[in-house]
Amino acid sequence: MRRGLAAAALALAALAAPQAHAGAQTAGEWLQRMSDSLATLNYDGLFTHTAGQQSETMRIVHRVDGGRSMERLVSLDGSGREIVRTAEEVHFYMPDRRVVLVEPRTDDGSLLRALPAPGPKLDELYTLEVRKGSKLLGRDVKVLDIRPRDAYRYGYRLWLDEETAMPLRSEVVNGEGKAVEAMHFTRLEVRDRITPRELEPAVDATGYQWVRAGKRGEPRAANAYWRPRKVPPGFRLVATRLQIVPGVPVPVQHLIFSDGFASVSVFIEPGTAKGPAPPESTSVGSSNAFSTQVRGHVVTAIGEVPAATVRDLATSVAPVEEMAAPAKPSTEPTDR
Amino acid sequence: MANFPPSDGSTEPHEPRDESDRPATGVEQSDLELVRRVQKGERGAFDLLVLRYQHKVVKLVARLLRDPAEAEDVAQEAFVKAYRALGSFRGDSAFYTWLYRIAVNTARNTMASRQRRPLDYEADLSESEQSVVESRMRHGDTPEAVALSDEIHRTVNGAIEALPEDLRTAIVLREVEGLSYEEIAEAMDCPVGTVRSRIFRAREAIDRSLKPLLD
Amino acid sequence: MTDQIREQMSALLDGELPRDQVGLLVRRMSRDAELKRTFGNYVLAGESLRAPGGVMASPGFAARVSAAIDEGEVAGSAVPTVPARSPARWRRPLAATAVAASAALAAVLLVRPDGGEPQLFAERSGAPESPLVVTLPVGGSSPTPGQNQRLAGYLVVHGQYATPISRRAVWSNALATDPGVARVTYENAEAP
Repeated sequence: MRRGLAAAALALAALAAPQAHAGAQTAGEWLQRMSDSLATLNYDGLFTHTAGQQSETMRIVHRVDGGRSMERLVSLDGSGREIVRTAEEVHFYMPDRRVVLVEPRTDDGSLLRALPAPGPKLDELYTLEVRKGSKLLGRDVKVLDIRPRDAYRYGYRLWLDEETAMPLRSEVVNGEGKAVEAMHFTRLEVRDRITPRELEPAVDATGYQWVRAGKRGEPRAANAYWRPRKVPPGFRLVATRLQIVPGVPVPVQHLIFSDGFASVSVFIEPGTAKGPAPPESTSVGSSNAFSTQVRGHVVTAIGEVPAATVRDLATSVAPVEEMAAPAKPSTEPTDR
Repeated sequence: MANFPPSDGSTEPHEPRDESDRPATGVEQSDLELVRRVQKGERGAFDLLVLRYQHKVVKLVARLLRDPAEAEDVAQEAFVKAYRALGSFRGDSAFYTWLYRIAVNTARNTMASRQRRPLDYEADLSESEQSVVESRMRHGDTPEAVALSDEIHRTVNGAIEALPEDLRTAIVLREVEGLSYEEIAEAMDCPVGTVRSRIFRAREAIDRSLKPLLD
Repeated sequence: MTDQIREQMSALLDGELPRDQVGLLVRRMSRDAELKRTFGNYVLAGESLRAPGGVMASPGFAARVSAAIDEGEVAGSAVPTVPARSPARWRRPLAATAVAASAALAAVLLVRPDGGEPQLFAERSGAPESPLVVTLPVGGSSPTPGQNQRLAGYLVVHGQYATPISRRAVWSNALATDPGVARVTYENAEAP
């Protein structure tokens, strides 16, 4: 492992702009280095993922080719499920269900969009600190603390390998400083090359049900566009799409919010005729989801932010025509 | 973990993932063969893997759990999980290494859900057998289980003591020293076929003495 | 003849049986409980030699594992079955969840790849589909994303827009066997 990382560090030094990364000192620079490494390095590792009271061993293989990031993430304990993100699609294999969910790749594939952007805007919402940490996997590490300034977002603690800036360990931390989710590598190889074969799924999916999201046809004129009326501080709407989600019968509106670091998706689909369902909050590790009915539609917000934030976002969206009406004096209580 | 040679003609060296550089042993190869058969639909091949590793997994889980009485339940769950996940086992590591991981995680999840506190990141446990630990573990067993286990060991030991020396040597070199047939043949200065036959006859003698006990 | 088979079993245990003989032997053994028992005794001999007086699996263990696997396959559920003698305080409840979850999944959407109108090819069972509303106690069993396909689809889509670290977390949760999904249903509908 040692030699693998050392070789990679040399490769990285050759690739990277020396000025930008030589002697990275500030927390912001470390964050940038980490983002660059995650996006540009080829690596293969085993990590333990812990959420709530469950832990699971996972393998990740990450390959970069022609500026595109591809990866394979597989559960090694029990479920045998895996996600493979190729240049064109995302495949989610579920051998225990004999189902494959297929979703076209929707980021434009360029690495830049995948990176959070440290900068003054981020400073308004998070404080960043870096300090020396004790060794991990025999490597020297820096600990990067990303602390939210308010209760609308989570914090992160990242243990970065000093040579490659790869996060050997990472935690998502809530307002009380407690880790709600954690990942730590037990083995990591950074390599000059990963072959396409190593991204092939282990699952033999013959006989499985392939659930496709279908092609992105021309966007249909929706009956109503949805927008948030009130957005939690620091978040803004960064993209909207008409999306077909594998497993959902009709196209859904998909709003993407971000504070520059955390992202929240809001999905709006027409409701069923069965009548209103009670609002519901779901927690899967650091991902929180909130679903509720608004104007006969099922609105679901999901993101790596505290439950209150997804709830605020889910309950704040409304069809655009409603918002065009003259605003009455707002007497909405803003309870938090 | 095994070293895959690059199949695309690239000449990069891959780091060996094993601590030692030994090629996969006969047992590891045999396990892989059985795994392949299971993956192709031969359920029976998995039964053999269970038979081979049942004691190791139960022992391992008993060490991890505070309550060894549940060790068999948890071990059973680990084997079932392994069976279901076998489709994704690619032979990157030895089968037992993979199974070991599943067993450790299953045991950890059990403890965590019972005790309701965050998990510690434990270093991998060493597999050294410590008789002190073993005897402590037995407090959790029922008296009947302990008595049976004692008697099994006594019976096996008795049978081994009664073996002719060449049979005893052969099986000890195989099971305790972990030597291959070839290595044993060299150590005992006899053909490999003789080694195989001696080990078989030693096992037969032990099996004969265990039969009345376990029937 | 029987001696020959048993000697092959002994060699298989040591990983010294030629590959071309493994297949036939495995098939023989799966049909013959006596052969399996003998194999088990061979294994026991080794364990006993290495660690006299140690913990080990009780005689019926392997058979119980086999039965548990068979049971799991018949039910078609991803949840491991509980052995009869375990108090199972800590396990997730089984039958009700599995049935409810498989009912929810009975309707599977197949979208035609040519982009035509999505059609619902449903094999609806008796239970109504209500994928996001769950009436299971928090901390007990809950449908996993694998069982709740809608949530799984959302997680996959959402993951594409997350940062690399978050994406790994989101997708790891989608992949986990039992991600400890905690659900709370609000009694009073909160009108936005």
